[in-house]
Amino acid sequence: MLTLWDAPKGASVTISGLKQGLHQLVLNRLSEMGLDQGQTVLCLRRSPFNGPVVVAIADCVYSLEQQIASHIFIQPLS
Amino acid sequence: MKRIILVGKPNSGKSLLFNQLTGLRQKVANFPGVTVELKTGRFDAFELVDFPGTYSMSTLSRDEDIAVEKINQALLDDNTALIICNLDATRLESSLVFGMQMLALAQRFNKKLLFALNMIDEVERFGHHIDVNALAADVGCPVSALSAKTLLGISEFKQQALALANSPTATSEPVHNATTANIAADVPVNPLVQSRKLAAKYGIKASIVLKTQNRIDAFMLNNVSGSIAFLLVMFLLFQSIFTFATPLMDGVESALGALAQAITGMIGPGMLSDFLNDAIFGGLGSFLVFVPQIMVLTLIIGLLEDSGYLARAALICHRPLSYFGLSGRSFIPYLSAHACAIPAIMAARTIESPRKRLITMLTIPLMSCSARLPVYALLISVLIPPQQYLGGLINLQGVAFFSLYLFGILTALLVSLVLSRTANDDAKSDMPFILELPTYRLPHWKPLIHRVVQSAKQFIYRAGPVIFVVSLVIWLLGYFPSDAGGLEYSYLGQIGHFIEPLFTPLGIDWRYGIAILMSFLAREVFVGALGTLFGIEGADENIAGLAANIQQDGLAFGAGIGILLFYVVALQCVATVATLKAETGSTKLVLGLVAGYGTLAYLLAFMAASLIG
Repeated sequence: MLTLWDAPKGASVTISGLKQGLHQLVLNRLSEMGLDQGQTVLCLRRSPFNGPVVVAIADCVYSLEQQIASHIFIQPLS
Repeated sequence: MKRIILVGKPNSGKSLLFNQLTGLRQKVANFPGVTVELKTGRFDAFELVDFPGTYSMSTLSRDEDIAVEKINQALLDDNTALIICNLDATRLESSLVFGMQMLALAQRFNKKLLFALNMIDEVERFGHHIDVNALAADVGCPVSALSAKTLLGISEFKQQALALANSPTATSEPVHNATTANIAADVPVNPLVQSRKLAAKYGIKASIVLKTQNRIDAFMLNNVSGSIAFLLVMFLLFQSIFTFATPLMDGVESALGALAQAITGMIGPGMLSDFLNDAIFGGLGSFLVFVPQIMVLTLIIGLLEDSGYLARAALICHRPLSYFGLSGRSFIPYLSAHACAIPAIMAARTIESPRKRLITMLTIPLMSCSARLPVYALLISVLIPPQQYLGGLINLQGVAFFSLYLFGILTALLVSLVLSRTANDDAKSDMPFILELPTYRLPHWKPLIHRVVQSAKQFIYRAGPVIFVVSLVIWLLGYFPSDAGGLEYSYLGQIGHFIEPLFTPLGIDWRYGIAILMSFLAREVFVGALGTLFGIEGADENIAGLAANIQQDGLAFGAGIGILLFYVVALQCVATVATLKAETGSTKLVLGLVAGYGTLAYLLAFMAASLIG
């Protein structure tokens, strides 16, 4: 399954769910940020050396490290 | 006094609104060990309390725990007359997520709530209009549009807020068995759906709001241009704490010197004059000199934070620093620590994860601060010949300086790595790196200046008393018995002789021992103390003369290197210890750190003295 960590720069991806393994508190926060099923997220930047990814979610821009982004499932890219 | 509380998401103009409502007469309350602070001020007949910005009522870190705990207390408090919830009008969806949680709680606890729809000027600049009355009807709670920046709508907002706060509470159904612990259960699980709906109906399209920000980021976060911008910003930061602060520091020094001269001149020579000159002006002076540097640093970091760049810098630094168990936000405190550990420890407040913040704070003292500079300069000119290579491009003494700085940085990273591998106590001590990149904004001067002044005050209040006691004790020990004839025969000299066996393995005698003891006041005192012991007056200005004397006296190379390594590692500065204690909230931890770094420093010095000889 693809995760947000696999999204290339400039891609607009749709969230399909959150993977188990993250702390419940973190999952709560991610879903409050708008990272729930069906939400579209724009991947703005990838940093070199596996640095954090920058994504636009709803009206905010967030930077997420690999540990988080690889726990967010996305639908296959069209 | 009845209270109005102000809550909202970070980066949503809340602090500016607080400043506009209260003016600049504010009181700040800190909580030990966390970055949370509650600001209070006067708004009409009410006390206005500014709560730390929180993203949600369900918390991720201990800092947020305290913020939420304080909000919960306010919900239960009969004195809470009104809750003002600040919303960013340009980002309705994300600010309403917290807003709707807050509204549900306010209704549950029978508190009045007013939404402050802030930054309405920016909404209008985008050519958008928000139907405030319809929005209020939809959320079921009064909404008032305003701009804390341009003051648009602020007087109407004030009127509405005061009218609400002064009105009697409509229905007073007492809340039974409510404690702050079970409040969390009342929070609607996810107010996202409602927020999304409201934002779609009333808000601006996200792509329009984020357009400028993303365009700037395309440059600022680009691998090439972003790196250059980053290096430039950090270079400016580094320069400013040394270059811009120097004249101010010199100013403080000469002002204190002139004051000392004027006062001692009036009372004539004697013990009182010696006391004032050496203990008061000398001791406190060596500490007040750092105030300008702290203020300049706070200003620059404040500018970076308010403009939105600090978050980008953290993003850029995150990956390399995460190898050592640190956060991207550890970089600026580390860099600042090369000026002075104290503002650096305070700057560590911006680190989101409590655990990484603690590791950063505990390793900051290993960075070579500017008080070590005179010590390095003296010993390097004693030990290292001023040889030049490649036609003057490389200077051996310069290489030595650089090596000492590097040694401090490497030790800090190594200690961080070790600390980060120690057992993880609970989930809330570490926070995942989820960082909001706020809009780029022009900083506002008034609150910034206020923060700068606060930082100086905080430094003086925290470290001042300790420094005063230490300088008093050192002066008394060094001055008495006054008929003995100089420092060597004073109590301090006697102590130096007594503990000489401790320094013998390091290849140094009692004179260096005294100088090291006196460095607890501030490390640069080492130079002045050795100057007195080697009979050089004003050694601070005559480092070459003192260096020549020490060379003649015959300081072994290994022992000299040992002292240098000792000064890189040892945590000697009492002001830093006091600040660390205040910021971590743990005396035990800080004393352990002093002992740990002390032992490591001693071992390094011992190894250098015995291996190099």
